[in-house]
Amino acid sequence: MIKILIVDDEKPICDLIDLNLSAAGYECTSVQDGMKAIELIDKEKDEFDLILLDIMLPGADGYDVMDYIRPLGIPVIFITAKHEVKDRVKGLKLGADDYLVKPFEIVELIARVEAVLRRYNKTEKLLRAGDVVIDVEARRVTKAGKPIVLTNKEFRLLRLFVENKNVALFREKLYEKVWEEEYFGDSRTLDLHVQRLRRKLGWEQNLVAVYKVGYRLEVTE
Amino acid sequence: MKFSFKLLLWTMIVMAISLGFSGFYFVNYVFETSLEREIGQAADENSILRFAFETAALNVPVKYGMLQDDTVEQVASNLEGAQDVGRLLRISDEEKNILYASDGFEADEALLAQTGESIKAYRVINMDGKYYINTGSTVNALDRMLYLETLKDVSEVFSERTTGFKVYRRMTILMLVVGVVIMHIISSWLTKPIKLLTKATRRMEAGDYSYRAKKVSDDELGQLTRDFNRMAAALEDNINMLEEEIQAREDFVGAFAHELKTPLTSIIGYADMLRSRKLDEEKSIMSANYIFTEGKRLETMSLRLLDIIVTRRGEAKFQYTAVGSIFEYIRDTFSEKGNFRFEYNYDDGVVWAEADLIKTVLVNLIDNACKASEQDGLIEVSGQANDGYYYFTVRDHGEGIPYEEQAKITQAFYMVDKSRSRSRNGAGLGLALCAEILSLHESALEIDSEPGVGTSMSFALTLTDERKEAQEYEEDKEVKEGETDN
Repeated sequence: MIKILIVDDEKPICDLIDLNLSAAGYECTSVQDGMKAIELIDKEKDEFDLILLDIMLPGADGYDVMDYIRPLGIPVIFITAKHEVKDRVKGLKLGADDYLVKPFEIVELIARVEAVLRRYNKTEKLLRAGDVVIDVEARRVTKAGKPIVLTNKEFRLLRLFVENKNVALFREKLYEKVWEEEYFGDSRTLDLHVQRLRRKLGWEQNLVAVYKVGYRLEVTE
Repeated sequence: MKFSFKLLLWTMIVMAISLGFSGFYFVNYVFETSLEREIGQAADENSILRFAFETAALNVPVKYGMLQDDTVEQVASNLEGAQDVGRLLRISDEEKNILYASDGFEADEALLAQTGESIKAYRVINMDGKYYINTGSTVNALDRMLYLETLKDVSEVFSERTTGFKVYRRMTILMLVVGVVIMHIISSWLTKPIKLLTKATRRMEAGDYSYRAKKVSDDELGQLTRDFNRMAAALEDNINMLEEEIQAREDFVGAFAHELKTPLTSIIGYADMLRSRKLDEEKSIMSANYIFTEGKRLETMSLRLLDIIVTRRGEAKFQYTAVGSIFEYIRDTFSEKGNFRFEYNYDDGVVWAEADLIKTVLVNLIDNACKASEQDGLIEVSGQANDGYYYFTVRDHGEGIPYEEQAKITQAFYMVDKSRSRSRNGAGLGLALCAEILSLHESALEIDSEPGVGTSMSFALTLTDERKEAQEYEEDKEVKEGETDN
């Protein structure tokens, strides 16, 4: 299982990230102090696969912690309220893999985490949802062992649903993530793609429409 | 055109004109005096010759009772030859026919027309590039009246004038050249303060506000330089002040954005989770609770900010306030707080203040003291009248403030221990508000803290003698009302 360390001085934010990442299948540990974070990393050197780091921290600030982490080669995503370009550049120059500005949306956080883990080849290569198995690298989908042919957009849509199991995904978000364009209320395209996914995967019951929101993939683990 | 060049040019023009005029006048004056003298001499000579002629004519033996033409000729040539100076003369008879003329006497006879009995005449003539004075008079010898003319060479006087002009012209040119050099030096020396000022202006324009012009003279330009520097200093101060103000404002906005975003992240995140995920009851309640508490935190922050803004606007209602009432209020407010031991100890006195604001300051200070103290910690609230001031002091025996943080704690959003302060609903604005209120009262917060021992926060207000002040106040009011009546 992939282990993630969350360092943020705000307990509510730690809990928020913890809850969502745990639901996405990660194991999370959180601390609220820079020095404690360093101690913890020191103690369990190779344990963490990813560190989410705030910058303004009591004890040692995020940049100090980053200095400490860099030689260990653990990927880091800064999560901070500092939004100015110079802060971002400083964070990235110090060796962070990504930079997420508060306030952020959960989907965004999960996508960034996935992206960084993928870059480090730490993601599970096979995503599962029921009897559907997705080989991300090979871009191959099977259902009960039988290969399913999907278009590029359908594949991306499927992956988004599987990465956010049991989470209602908003139309805007889906559209923006899959089509990489701004959503202008034209839901026909999206509906058609979801319809096709349902048919191809036999997910008429699992891919449910959520009234006034969008869609949710419901699978029992 | 450069000012120094203008100065140089005009000086040169004036100098050339005055040198030219004075030179012309001087040379001419010398010439005219010389000519006058020569004319005088010529006239004298003429008289001498006439006399000599008349004398000579008397001595000549007279034939036929009258002076013969050839006799005249003889006498004239004698006169001419007698003085070996190349004297030129001409003698004409009554009908103005020439009887005798020296060699080279080639002047026309125009002068004879002007000459008459007892009328002497002279003129200056130019013959073949030479100048002569031509004089004419009448000679009475026996019964004849003859005309005697002389010619005196005065070319020298004229050539002296020409030489004079030439020399003077050369002198003038030389003087002008020397003048240009000297005036150039003088004008650049005179305009040096202007150059230095211009340089200073350029430097300041380029943003170097600390540059000052060098003062090189004590005259009006030196005065100008000094005034300019004084202005530059004032300007620099203002700019520095503005920059500091801008920096402070930027810091404030930055801190504000950060403090705003932190609760917003939680609120948005948990709300997002609630709307998109099926959560069990425990998690739903936790999420809702976080949204509530973080919302409350935003509320506290916005109220405090509002307080600060209102205070900054300075719309406080000052009045005479007995400190006793303030302390009573504080005692009531904190009587409910059982976790701490409060000790009150104060003198009586009256201060000129906005009571509600001073209460706010004390409540904030005591709140901070509580935050720093352990359970059952002692918090001392005291007031002392001393030397015309009333000192309010809040002392705790808590953890103290690290020395390096003490200067920063009145900055907005600054928190010594963030996580601890947050857990007690602090926004980091309390002391900033206190500082604003106190600056409105022309006072300031004094912090005396030792880590591990405790903190003492105090401020002073001017103590007033109520009756006296009240009387003055009333008088003031009457005067003002009187003014408005008029």
